[in-house]
Amino acid sequence: MQASCAQPRMGVYVCHCGLNIAGVVDVEAVRDSARALEGVVVARDNKYTCSEVGQKTIADDIRDLGLDRVVIASCSPRLHEKTFRGVLEKCGMNPFLLEMANIREQCSWVHSGDSAAATEKAKALVRSAVARARLLSPLSRSEGRVVPKVMVVGGGVAGISAALYLGNMGIKTYLVEREPSIGGHMAMLDKTFPTLDCSLCILSPKMVEVAENENIQVLSYSEVEKVEGQVGDFRVQVRRRARYVDEAKCVGCGDCAAKCPVRVPDEFNRNMGERKAIYIPFPQAIPPAYAIDAEHCRYLTQGKCRVCEKVCERGAVVFDQTDRVETVEVGAIVVATGFRPYDASKKPQYGYGRYPNVITSLDFERIICADGPTHGKLKRPGDQATPGRIAFIQCVGSRDEHGHDGAGAYCSRVCCMITAKQAFMVKEKHPDSEVYVYYTDMRTAGKGFEEFYQRGRGEGIVFVRGKPGEVREEEGGSLRITSEDADSGCILDLSFDMVVLAVGLTPPEGLVDLAQRLNLSRSADGFLMEGHPKLRPFETSIDGIYLAGCVQFPKDIPDSVAQAGGAAAVAAATCSRQKIEMDPLGPVIDEDLCIGCRLCEMLCPYGAIKVEKTDRGYKARSIEVACKGCGVCGASCSARAITMKHYSNDQIVAQTRALLEVS
Amino acid sequence: MADLAVGGRVAGQGQGQSEEGFEPEVVGFLCNWCSYAGADLAGTSRLAYPTNLRVIRVMCSGRVDPEIMLEPFLDGADGVMVLGCHPGDCHYLSGNYQAEQRVRTIWMVLDHLGIDRERLYLDWVSAAEGARFADMVSEFVARVRTLGPAGGGPASREGLSRGEFAFRAEVARRVAGGERFRWLVGRNKALSEEGNVYGEKVSPHKAAALMQSVIADECVRAAIEVLAGEAPVSVRDIASRLGISAQLVLEQAAYLKRRGLIELYDVSGRSPRYVRAGARA
Repeated sequence: MQASCAQPRMGVYVCHCGLNIAGVVDVEAVRDSARALEGVVVARDNKYTCSEVGQKTIADDIRDLGLDRVVIASCSPRLHEKTFRGVLEKCGMNPFLLEMANIREQCSWVHSGDSAAATEKAKALVRSAVARARLLSPLSRSEGRVVPKVMVVGGGVAGISAALYLGNMGIKTYLVEREPSIGGHMAMLDKTFPTLDCSLCILSPKMVEVAENENIQVLSYSEVEKVEGQVGDFRVQVRRRARYVDEAKCVGCGDCAAKCPVRVPDEFNRNMGERKAIYIPFPQAIPPAYAIDAEHCRYLTQGKCRVCEKVCERGAVVFDQTDRVETVEVGAIVVATGFRPYDASKKPQYGYGRYPNVITSLDFERIICADGPTHGKLKRPGDQATPGRIAFIQCVGSRDEHGHDGAGAYCSRVCCMITAKQAFMVKEKHPDSEVYVYYTDMRTAGKGFEEFYQRGRGEGIVFVRGKPGEVREEEGGSLRITSEDADSGCILDLSFDMVVLAVGLTPPEGLVDLAQRLNLSRSADGFLMEGHPKLRPFETSIDGIYLAGCVQFPKDIPDSVAQAGGAAAVAAATCSRQKIEMDPLGPVIDEDLCIGCRLCEMLCPYGAIKVEKTDRGYKARSIEVACKGCGVCGASCSARAITMKHYSNDQIVAQTRALLEVS
Repeated sequence: MADLAVGGRVAGQGQGQSEEGFEPEVVGFLCNWCSYAGADLAGTSRLAYPTNLRVIRVMCSGRVDPEIMLEPFLDGADGVMVLGCHPGDCHYLSGNYQAEQRVRTIWMVLDHLGIDRERLYLDWVSAAEGARFADMVSEFVARVRTLGPAGGGPASREGLSRGEFAFRAEVARRVAGGERFRWLVGRNKALSEEGNVYGEKVSPHKAAALMQSVIADECVRAAIEVLAGEAPVSVRDIASRLGISAQLVLEQAAYLKRRGLIELYDVSGRSPRYVRAGARA
């Protein structure tokens, strides 16, 4: 099919999209106005153009009427451009001879109040699409290679699960973790709701499985620094921080830590205990190797000590290690960097950080955990006394409609059940204690959740609907809460021994930087944006980069694991492809016009255009594999020697003129 | 040099529509990754905004050639929006910075030519900002409504007739297509951050002054080319049309003649008349 012949033969298809478009836009009028446009051989309206019937109509017309351009007026090209390009391809047509007019998202859905104006706008958008279609040229896609390996960024339960799914499929997987050990927040929890499984007892076997899986390589104490390339062929630079301990030699005996003279607050225990400067975050850590905290190590800060080096029989302590940057090639990336608990000190009214007996839900997990600073005995931090009266305050940092103090407007989904679990555990350990929960709404949607919550109510936990305005400290470290009980209308003025703030989940530290490095969009809540809120929950706007766990939005453990499985499946699908076809949107350089000024070379963000000496002087040359098709070179060329394929100036000018034509 | 606007202001010819009956025509260039996705989100969220905006999708705001930013004004648009990803979020790393450089420089050209710079709007919309997009469109359309129709005579902010507006928009577009303009726009950021070919850093103030003088020259050259493209035109007539001295016109005409872009047609009275090269029968 020749596309550049004198008069193109165009078919225009105007979609009703049920009533989504037809309920506002006069689809028949749009169809008739398209029919009158130059070069339009056929114009039809379809109930659903994307349906099998709709696609068949187009395919039949291509065959019967010899169409060489197809214009579809329907939803956003971001949704269905791929679908319709596929229809053209199946009919033996070049897929780049398709143009779409977005008359749903950018017309009917936003102009429902003015049908007449929306119809006129739809006509203009179709006119513009036809004008552009007239100037389209057939293009051939270039092919890129596929590296059949995956990188999973973040070693919490989502990242661990994704890595295991991938490793078990036989795909070489790199699991990158910022901390010295994988495990993430789940490793810090005592029990999980609603089954009260011991958290680490179910996580630790998975961590061991990661260590033993020959397809998985854990890059702990490491961070992603730079990402280049595209789907199928990413080059990721990973900064591997100096651990000062040889992972291969260390057996985790702990002789070094026993002799280390430096004591540091233990972040794994939420700073409620101490660790040494050479440490292992928790006994089940993977890799099971110690690490030296360079910020506190006496030798690394003051130049003398080296006790750990002397006591290590295996010679695993290596002080001459330095940070190094490794480049890893992968075909797909799964981002699973989790969340950060809301910083409760940003709500000074609750006194976190000022009143020792006000703690967060994560602090509570460490206190109640047998491995924690109190060895599982319920003691309050202020004086190590056992609290008999405990209050939980819900939605700290969540459901804050104004988003004050870094709080989210969203519901963090897990805090209600975390509190139900923790309140239940208090009652289990100390049946005589009094437990109050101040809540906004108890949200218990999940398998077995409501039943668990009702069980807690049965144990005598008091649920008060109301959000306390403040917590006041009284003599002896007890805490007073005055709040309205919205259900009874009474004012409750109560004193407690300890207050637990159920903190929300916020985007993880450094996510802004990571999103920029990976070129990913973030949603209004600050978490990473999925490819489509309903139908592409694992994908992102970037092909080859997928999401798992709380980095997309707060979720509980089973949901994180489920999403990890999905992300692993799509990443594996990418890796199983023989080659990746890339859209040919690059520049065409007219060497007669090029004056070799190098502006394009200087402005190209990818080094995809280079000026070379030729026998006609210096001329710009495009490097197709590196080009991503942004068009900065074409829009900047001082000699106007560069034409962009598929988004040429001629095409854009034709679109503009057609838009502004008086119909 | 006097701005072209001062001498060239032509009283309206009563063509402008009254403000209430005026529906602005607005063309938007939206990048595929952020602003177009944000506009789609406004649709998915059913956030209404005026029907005046018509969108052209491009891959990156950095794809929008300065000539293309001005093209809609030649075709009857009253306002143009260029929307990209937020700074630092560009899908192509830095395309939005280039778009910003271009828009800022075109604003200088528009100021110079007496076209209200507010008709060209630049902003950032992320894929998550459907509501922000809808508000932005509503506000811009309202703003253009107060500016009045482009070339709407007394009903418009500039007070330019349709013909005069079209003439100036054409001059602006030619300036934006010129080699010197495009080179300076492309190098502007680097000139102040990395320095010129001699490694000398140019202060932003100096760079702006340089740009201003280039724009002044380029506007005169472009205006001569436009006028001489229609029919032979005398230096005196060009000078009076542009409201500048005949000496300035003669200097730039001599430059264009040297470059072979215009040629001497005849001498009418004591003023030489020029015509577009090759146009002479």
